Formats: sequence, structure tokens, C-alpha cells
Amino acid sequence: MNRLAHFLILLTLVCFSSLVSATEDKFHFDSPQQSALFLELTKELRCPKCQNQNIADSDAMIAVDLRRKVYELLQKDYDRQQVIDFMKQRYGDFVYYQPPVNPMTIWLWLLPVLFIFIALAGIVITRKRQAPEISNEQLAKAQAILERDE
Amino acid sequence: MKKIAVYLIPLGLFLGLSVFLFQGLFSDPRDHQSSLLNKSMPEFVLPDLMNIEKTYTQDVFLGKVTLLNVWGVWCITCAIELPYLKQLQDEGKYIVGLYYDQDIDPDFGIKTVQRVQQEVKDKLSQLGNPYAYNIFDVKRNLSLDLGVTGAPETYLIDQQGKIRLHHIGDINPRVWNKKFAPIYDALVAQ
Repeated sequence: MNRLAHFLILLTLVCFSSLVSATEDKFHFDSPQQSALFLELTKELRCPKCQNQNIADSDAMIAVDLRRKVYELLQKDYDRQQVIDFMKQRYGDFVYYQPPVNPMTIWLWLLPVLFIFIALAGIVITRKRQAPEISNEQLAKAQAILERDE
Repeated sequence: MKKIAVYLIPLGLFLGLSVFLFQGLFSDPRDHQSSLLNKSMPEFVLPDLMNIEKTYTQDVFLGKVTLLNVWGVWCITCAIELPYLKQLQDEGKYIVGLYYDQDIDPDFGIKTVQRVQQEVKDKLSQLGNPYAYNIFDVKRNLSLDLGVTGAPETYLIDQQGKIRLHHIGDINPRVWNKKFAPIYDALVAQ
């Protein structure tokens, strides 16, 4: 019984997986490179309506339209950067997951580095301050204790 | 004294972070300015929804301050804002609809134009018609060029055919008075 259930679950999963791959089959590409580029771009472009999904993942109508537009542009021999620029012109930097480097966003990269340096400096300074000064007298005392134990 | 200063650092960091996160609670992630702001309307050639033989281009907006309202009968928020748009029209605002249909998938289905027209007529006779005319964005290409993310959305277009404002969501008295009125009044006064 248990085995049968497992088999049925597996069977449904297999059926669904073929369904999922079939949905994108309406786009036909001349070359596997173009097809790969399409998949890559739809993963990196963000759906403007459902903001935490890429357009490959989303079922919103705008995502469907954007996928179709990416396909159209690739058929017109746009390269990767041209497609991204096309989308950015319409939907802003927002539509591409990789933010541009500008005076506003540079902090995304600088802050973690700054944090590391400040934390390191803090550690070094406190270490230095706390370093106990051991006098010769204390050393001799410790030595005496050690020798006694032996 | 120095010790107090050291203890104040984490407190300061905490307060700074709190303020940053607190304002995040009220920021709307959908509220980002259109990248087409102060640019001319994208080029297009599209038919009138009610009279398919008639076509419009971007030049149709020249010489007038226009509110371009993106809508569809399937959109519930659009139905809610229609009466207010009607009121704006009664006050003398010039409103043009950019209509798009959800059921027309260029890759698959075709819904007859007659059916779309009938749906629109029914809706507008029920809720009031604020539109001077409706541009039918058949394949949603103009919407894409305009950076439309859904419906309703509204663009304020000046006499030179430039986009001066892009609002995502419905227009209501609050949005109008706060967001549209200052720019609209300044444009009309020109």
C-alpha cells in the first residue's frame, strides 16, 4: 500500500514537471545560445507588479508581457545588454536585480567593508588596552607555584 | 566621561537603525518614480476602441493638458475610481482612456472587438463615462513602453506631449489634491 502511494506521488510529480517545461515551449529559438540567454534574462529581470519574483517565475500579466517582449527583442538580435537597457528605459533600474553603482547605491558595497575595518580597529584597540602588564615579580610567583606542584 | 561616550555608541546605533526601519514601515515599495518622467510620449499608432478604423498617434496629446487613464472592465479598482474621474471631467479635466484587455493574449486567444466594446459600453453606462475617447492598446505594447505595471494607472501629459506625472493606483480626492492638483493647475495656468 505504502509503495503504491509512493509510486502515485512520483507519477503525479513527473506529470507536473512535464507540464511546467511545456509552458515555455511556445517560444522557439534558432539557437541554444539564444534560448539560454532568454532563460538567463527572464531570471534576472524583476516583475514590476509582484516585486519579489522574477519575470520567469511570475504569472502576473505584466510578467507574461515582459517575457514575450524579451523574446521579441532576442528575435530582433538584441544582445543581453540591449534587452536590459530596453527594460530599464521603461521600468527604471528597479526592473533589473543588479543595482547600478552610483553615489546613492555605492554604500551597498562600501558599508560592509567599512564595517569590517571599523570592527577590526575596535578589536585591536580594546586588545591593546586590556593587555595585562605582567611584572617580573608576578612571573616569579607563578614560577614558584608551578615548581611547588611538581 | 569617556566611558559614557563609549556606552552611548550602541544606543546611537540602535536609535539610528530604529528610525531607518521605522520609516521603512511607511514606505510604499510600489511608489517609485516613472523613468519616463518629463519625456515625450512614446510613439504609437493605435485604434479608437469604439471606432476601430480611426487611429491615434502620440501627436493626439499636443496642445492640451491630458489625463491618460489606463484601465479595463476587469479591473475592480478602476470601477471604483470611475465615478471620481467622471466628477473630474465635469470640472473640466480632459481625460483619455488607454484601454487594454486581459483576455487577449497575442499568442493565443482572440476575443472579438465587438465583445470588448459591449463590455466597455455596459460598464460606462452603469458608472458614468469620463473619457473623451479610449485608445485601444490591442497588444499592450504602448502600456509596456509607458512602464505600466497594472491598472489603474494615470499619466498627466502636458501641452507639449510630455509626461509630467505617473500615478500607480486609483485616483481619489486625496491623491488628486496632494499629487495631481499642484502640477495640473500650474500646467493649465501656462
